[in-house]
Amino acid sequence: MTSTAQALPSQRTVSEDINTLTVVANGEVFGLPIQMVQTIFRISSLSRVPLGPPDVAGLVNLRGKIVTAVSLRRRLKMDNDVVEPNALAIGIEHKGEYFCLVVDSVGEVLSLDEGKRIPIPPHFDPERLRLTTEFYRAGTMLIPVLDVNALFEFGK
Amino acid sequence: MDELLRDFIVETNQHLEEAATQLVLFERDPTDASLIAKIFRLVHTIKGTCSFLGLMRLQHIAHAAETMIGELRNGAAPTQTSVTVVLAAIDRIKQIVEAVEATGAEPEGDDADMIAQLDAQAAMLAASLTGEAVPEAPVAVAAAVAPPPAPETTSELPPQAAPAVPSEAVAPVAATPATVPRPKPAPASAAKTGAAPGARNSETIRVAVDAIERMMQLVSELVLTRNQLLELTRHRQDDAVKSPLQRLSSLTTDLQDAVMRARMQPVERLYANLPRLVRELATECGKKINLVTEGADTELDRQLIEILRDPLTHMIRNSADHGLESPAERAAAGKPEAGEIRVSASHEAGQITITIADDGRGLDIEKIKKKLVSNGTATEQELAKLGEDEIFKFIFAPGFSTAKSVTNVSGRGVGMDVVRSNIESIGGSISMQSKLGRGTKFSMRIPLTLAIAPALIVEASGLRFALPQHAVVEAVGVGQHSGHVIDKVQNALVLRLREEVVPVIDMSQVLGLDQTARQSGEQLVVIMRVGGESFGVIVDQVADVQEVVVKPLSASLAHLKVFTGHTILGDGSVVLILDPGGLAMSIGIEKSGDKKRDVKKESLDADKMRLVMFRAGPGVVKVLPVSLVARIEMVEPGRIEHADGRLTMIHQDRLMPLVPVGSTNFDPSRSYPVLVITDGDLTVGLLVDEIVDIMEESLDVQLSSGGYETIGAAVVRGQAVEFIDVTSYLQSVASSVTRQPAKDGGRRQVLLVHNDAFTRDFLSPMLSAAGYRVTAAASAKEALQVIDQGSHVDAVVTSTDLAGMTGNELASAVRRSPSAREVPVIGLIGTEETYDEADSNALTLRVQAGDRQSLLAGLSDAFKAMQRAEKRSALKSKTKAAA
Repeated sequence: MTSTAQALPSQRTVSEDINTLTVVANGEVFGLPIQMVQTIFRISSLSRVPLGPPDVAGLVNLRGKIVTAVSLRRRLKMDNDVVEPNALAIGIEHKGEYFCLVVDSVGEVLSLDEGKRIPIPPHFDPERLRLTTEFYRAGTMLIPVLDVNALFEFGK
Repeated sequence: MDELLRDFIVETNQHLEEAATQLVLFERDPTDASLIAKIFRLVHTIKGTCSFLGLMRLQHIAHAAETMIGELRNGAAPTQTSVTVVLAAIDRIKQIVEAVEATGAEPEGDDADMIAQLDAQAAMLAASLTGEAVPEAPVAVAAAVAPPPAPETTSELPPQAAPAVPSEAVAPVAATPATVPRPKPAPASAAKTGAAPGARNSETIRVAVDAIERMMQLVSELVLTRNQLLELTRHRQDDAVKSPLQRLSSLTTDLQDAVMRARMQPVERLYANLPRLVRELATECGKKINLVTEGADTELDRQLIEILRDPLTHMIRNSADHGLESPAERAAAGKPEAGEIRVSASHEAGQITITIADDGRGLDIEKIKKKLVSNGTATEQELAKLGEDEIFKFIFAPGFSTAKSVTNVSGRGVGMDVVRSNIESIGGSISMQSKLGRGTKFSMRIPLTLAIAPALIVEASGLRFALPQHAVVEAVGVGQHSGHVIDKVQNALVLRLREEVVPVIDMSQVLGLDQTARQSGEQLVVIMRVGGESFGVIVDQVADVQEVVVKPLSASLAHLKVFTGHTILGDGSVVLILDPGGLAMSIGIEKSGDKKRDVKKESLDADKMRLVMFRAGPGVVKVLPVSLVARIEMVEPGRIEHADGRLTMIHQDRLMPLVPVGSTNFDPSRSYPVLVITDGDLTVGLLVDEIVDIMEESLDVQLSSGGYETIGAAVVRGQAVEFIDVTSYLQSVASSVTRQPAKDGGRRQVLLVHNDAFTRDFLSPMLSAAGYRVTAAASAKEALQVIDQGSHVDAVVTSTDLAGMTGNELASAVRRSPSAREVPVIGLIGTEETYDEADSNALTLRVQAGDRQSLLAGLSDAFKAMQRAEKRSALKSKTKAAA
């Protein structure tokens, strides 16, 4: 295992432009800090984890590495997504563990600058807010940036 | 840190370990000059490297130690003190080396005390060598000589800043031994050392553990990739690819083997510090101990060696402290004064067995029992039902110690449970044997390596899992077409396997899997054994057996207790590896301290009885102790025949009479459950309508019913049940014996003693139905224990033919106890038993075993007589008091 652990950027204090990869889950667009993204791949086969956290779709063999697949749709409590083979996944390393986030589709890389940041609207679902760091305007869209730390922490 | 320094640390640690071992050996056999030469060489090397690296503190200690050892090499006889001093010096060097390892420099400190001691010893040894004094004198000399240099040197040492020592400051220290008359050993030894060790060094290189670990990881990945490739090409007939692939495959296997071997280390490494440990223990405990080690060349994965170090040390401490007796005790017991601790390692069947045996006093089972009773783990009656092995298992329970006092060495009761869980955590097992007065032996069975383990790939509800093979005992087919059937008892599954009843869990259920995906039909039960407990796991099939590389679960899944890790199989798919211990826990078997629980719940609970509940005819549910039932069989319609107005069936090649219980209307077109009851030659099948349940309940038969075929009614879990009388059915097929319910008012305590479980089980409900409280004992010994313990007993009912004792002898023994002097003892005579009148004079009464009426009448009479006697004596004491 080569040392791929990167210093996690401190998310709450982003002050400059951040580049995010947009991902789509259930028609909604989210941003993922690009420096967290290691690889994008299609899941060939998936082994379920009985008794595991419900958001964990299963384990995936990614070139000899065992990767924990997390469904973004389930994580955001959108639906009871069942991850099928051939699903699109984004490989992310978090605290020395390999994860992949299963999404519906991947968009483009957007540069979001500080000026477009907006305060978090107070009436948003707190459960979802837990998984996001900030909100940006990008054209006509409002893009929530996902908090990788929160995404891959499962309460026991 | 400097590469050179790092090498030095590794090397020095090895040298120190070796020197300490050799020294202990030398102390035992001072005539072996090669040993002391070796020690000298080792210390000399350390000294040399230290001065080269500028580690002055180390150099000075090593120098002083070398000087002293030089005297030994010159032929001075070692004393215990001299060896202790050198060992202390080695410890000091070790401490400093550790600090060097941590900080990269020598720590501040003062070694004048150590050096002074070494010098004093050197002087003393030198004196003894020159023969100037009688053996006792050197001690005096040493005492006289030693103090002066000490203050002198300390006064000069303080300015010394540890790493950079001005050499002048230490000169006096080094000079002190030089003043002692002796030949110059150093150059000579250097010349001598040159030749010997060189030969060995040329063949080895030092490799960092990390490097090996990395290789191991890579090889593991390679093995997996190879497996994937093989899987892909399995169905293709492409010879161009096949043969290079074959070659790749075999090379991979060889490589895996080679790397595994590189990780292997001889158990010798584990043994290295034992001689010293044992020496120290011997001194501490004031015992003489010989350590014997065997199988030092047995190889084991280095990771395992590290894991085993603590458990082994612990067990040796135990053996030395508790196991071995003091020399005086040993002599009194006719044993050689010196005790022996034998540690041996051997390789068998893919596992390593390490045993630690001592020839000490062995475990005192009575002491263990007493301890268990006093700390409330179990009651004496409960323990009486356990075999020796089962009682020894308590040793591995947390917090257990029989040591009278907590010594420095052991006795705090933390330990054996930790040892056990350590061993089990690496897939090993530990067992113990002990003979009172002869010794104790612990055996640990350990897998060769942790990295790669064979596993069964099992399928449940369409998902695959790996089950580590080390815990698997066997796989048993269950279902309609195989001999084994899983019963559902109280919502829990059990498998009757040969003589055992094995608790079973359904993997799909435990894992909460979708059972619709499950293939119907034949299933398998994989029987596993964890910590001495067996249980079964139902799976749909065993798909494969593969060597798997165990990878630990990621942190987000680590809380799942039923899995230990995951792995990638040959086809590239990921499977989770089940944790046998976790599975056992999910069934209620705990990893340690399990006995405590089981004991309370099952076997030891004196009042509880396993009952089979069934429906037969109209009326309430009927019950029977399971122990009376030899088998339960489902009998298909065709097998039951009418003959001579009776129902019969062929059972185990014999004609077995069947009796419908209650007034079951026999319907020849349906199948019936049949409870097969055997008593001696007599076998009868009870035809019932339906088995309701098998449960464990305390049974309090409350009233003796007048009806034939039932002993009485009882309440089981709030439900009234009828306790059926097996004997009446047995008799109905043999001869008819009239039966009359007995009635007796008092709740007298009756002790029922019989070797035969069958008799106990049918007599105790009958006696309790007659209004007595019954304590059952399986042997004379057990019975006497009950009495000695002070339990109140009003009467004893015993078989006249107990194992090892006649009923008459038991009666006499019982009456020897002050609390039971007047107790009536009724002997039960077997049908074919003859008895000698003279030989049964201690018995109050003898009745035929089958004649329950006489038994009840006899008891009743005896109690009436007792009551009269009590009244009389009460009257007497009253009149006395009045007078």
